[in-house]
Amino acid sequence: MDVRITPQAFDPQAEIAAFAHGRHDAGALVSFVGTCRSDTGGAAVDELRIDHYPGFTEKEIARLAEDTSRRFNCPDLLVVHRVGAIRPGEAIVLVAALSTHRSDAFEAVRILMDYLKTDAPLWKKESGPGGARWIEPRPEDYMRRVEAEKG
Amino acid sequence: MVRLVFLGKFSDVAPAGLAEIALPGDVRTLKDLKHWVARQEPRLGAAMEEARTRLIVNQCVAHDLSQPVADGDEIAFLPPMSGG
Repeated sequence: MDVRITPQAFDPQAEIAAFAHGRHDAGALVSFVGTCRSDTGGAAVDELRIDHYPGFTEKEIARLAEDTSRRFNCPDLLVVHRVGAIRPGEAIVLVAALSTHRSDAFEAVRILMDYLKTDAPLWKKESGPGGARWIEPRPEDYMRRVEAEKG
Repeated sequence: MVRLVFLGKFSDVAPAGLAEIALPGDVRTLKDLKHWVARQEPRLGAAMEEARTRLIVNQCVAHDLSQPVADGDEIAFLPPMSGG
């Protein structure tokens, strides 16, 4: 289990390669990378800022990852989440899972992303020529969260 | 003294003067504190009113607003989260 919060840009491919290096015991590797878009709903985005609550954010994301790991028998999970100022095209979040068979790794990554959307103590603010606005989870994010809880 | 941390959109309307305060005599619980903050800073009160606000005391989630507040506590006010 490797959970990191970083104010620095990271290279998702290099992270995935390091995570999977030498793991010949795992038959499946699944990863998801969320990237900062250059526009949302037709409005240009110059910068995304993500605030966190130091200490608490790390603890909560580790807890969500541990819950997911137990539930899907997926001991090897990687979460890297950016905070601070992010430019379009840069990675925001990377979630990766190694498992014996593909279904556990697919499910672990999908469910952990659903949890991160609504339960990770992070706050996004988009800014562009039209001004700045705080982003809140969409109704479908909450619905996915409810579905994730049901399994 | 208690430390108050306002996150996300609450940070836009929270004045710096609220970061560290002497615990007012009539504030005994989290509920009292939330009302006191709303009285001090109506814009913050309005923002907390319209959003689902979670309180974190010394890095632990508060499930009950009747929880007491003590000198030396750090209390964080969290609006809805948006990670991922």
